[in-house]
Amino acid sequence: MPEQSGNTEAVRDADAIDGARRGFLKTTGLSTLGAMLGMAVPFGRNLPAGFVPAALAQDTGLDLMAGKQGLVVLGDRPLNAETPAHLLDDDVTPYERLFIRMNGLVPQTALDQDAEGWVLTVDGEVETPLELTIDDLKSRFETVTRRLVIECGGNGRAFFQPGTSGNQWTTGAVGCPEWTGVRLAEVLKAAGVKESAVYTGHYGNDVHLSGDEEKEVISRGVPIEKALEEDAIIAWAMNGAPLPALHGFPLRLIVPGYPASASQKYLNRIRIRDREHDGAKMTGDSYRIPAYPVAPGTEVPEEDMVVLTEMPVKSIVTFPETGTEVKAGEAVEVRGHAWCGKGDVASVQYSLDFGQTWQEAALEPAPNRFAWQRWRARVTLPQHGYYEVWARAVDQDGIGQPPLSPVWNPRGYANNIQHRIALVAVG
Amino acid sequence: MSRIIKTFAAALAVLVLGTGLVAAEARLDPMSALAGRPAGSHPLDPMTALRARADAGEARAGNEEFGGLPDGAGAEETYYQCVACHSTEIIKQQRVTDHRWDELWRWMVEAQGMAEPDEETKALILAYLKTNFSSER
Repeated sequence: MPEQSGNTEAVRDADAIDGARRGFLKTTGLSTLGAMLGMAVPFGRNLPAGFVPAALAQDTGLDLMAGKQGLVVLGDRPLNAETPAHLLDDDVTPYERLFIRMNGLVPQTALDQDAEGWVLTVDGEVETPLELTIDDLKSRFETVTRRLVIECGGNGRAFFQPGTSGNQWTTGAVGCPEWTGVRLAEVLKAAGVKESAVYTGHYGNDVHLSGDEEKEVISRGVPIEKALEEDAIIAWAMNGAPLPALHGFPLRLIVPGYPASASQKYLNRIRIRDREHDGAKMTGDSYRIPAYPVAPGTEVPEEDMVVLTEMPVKSIVTFPETGTEVKAGEAVEVRGHAWCGKGDVASVQYSLDFGQTWQEAALEPAPNRFAWQRWRARVTLPQHGYYEVWARAVDQDGIGQPPLSPVWNPRGYANNIQHRIALVAVG
Repeated sequence: MSRIIKTFAAALAVLVLGTGLVAAEARLDPMSALAGRPAGSHPLDPMTALRARADAGEARAGNEEFGGLPDGAGAEETYYQCVACHSTEIIKQQRVTDHRWDELWRWMVEAQGMAEPDEETKALILAYLKTNFSSER
């Protein structure tokens, strides 16, 4: 089953992908090459054997998978991989276990860890446009370190029925590393946000899948009010080390509470807009949901789609691993994390009887706003047999996770279905 | 009707194998039964969406020469058209409506700069995608 994988399977996946890539290069004909470059290849027959178009030589980042542990690869070009729930047990998600969501290819600057001459431009609806080096950021603004959840807007897409297009994330496109940087709000205030400001537009230097250097890979933004809250940061470090190549080196935004696509990687420009941003993957169906609830499978007119903003309340069970055997009649700890796009989670409950009765779990406070919160419970399974642990988090407004997928949407965003694991009690 | 029975049988197989009480190696994960793309589920009867996915246990190996895409009319054309930008992994994950495939094609051409082939090839590729990676059949 492709959804589940331990280390060995992940390695095997990577091998299979390598094999597929070799096979691909072997069988690629010139007509294909032409299709790839979007044109005929003149004098094709004179090309040396083994010629690989520049578009294909650009790195997908797949080799960097060697530094990840136990992730399930959903796609190799672009590279996307998620983390099985039981590997997300750490309070601070380590690099090895942080999911990967690439929209394009990894830029060479990130692969080389070369930040020489990197400049962040802040322009648009501001009094004083800024050109900031990373040293400028470090010296001019207060450095803050925070644990912030980052979650792909499509996490949980696999549970929508009927299927929705995109990577079929289950529960693992989420993590909570510790980020270091400066507050986005302070940088924007230094530039002087004009009255006319409505939205931010974020830009990075990642490379389009087609290899076309003119083409934007992804450029999303957030309402200016969200950007001016104190939570979002411009980060240069993750877990005390420079940002890894797969996660945005040398600079990225972390805008907690919103889909992770708003947390631009490889950040080199923030443009303040006087209208909702219309960069790549802001428009059409991308990161948008219907303005009203629709029946599963409905095609929604483009003008009725609105930008997905706050992510819903959610929790996962990270221990034990699903399918674990436990002793009947003996207490065992069950635990996980809970988080919410609005900020702190109010409570977490769990059920051992398929949702018929619910018990309160102990919920720890967040070390800072938008960090995930640890929940724990000690459970005793009364007799041998099959059990499931279901968990549900409830936000400050009393809104909790549904036992099945929430309202369907064409691209399968914001699915906060309750997570369940199986436990087998033995006599 | 035969599809329903087949689906039911597949669901039963998943349940039997999925308990792991007999097979210690089978990984238990109730989420996997929910991560389905059942063919023919009815939007106005939400319980139908609870069925295990129709293709559980039926996964076709696919043709290695074409990135694991299943053989069939249009497999080769689909492979060469798509891998210009992305690998076949993202294709193989999809179970979407015919309409969504048309929309995705339009989006790839208009927003992502995909080079559009001639009409005949386009029709062949879309028919292949709708046949093999569908939520409708």
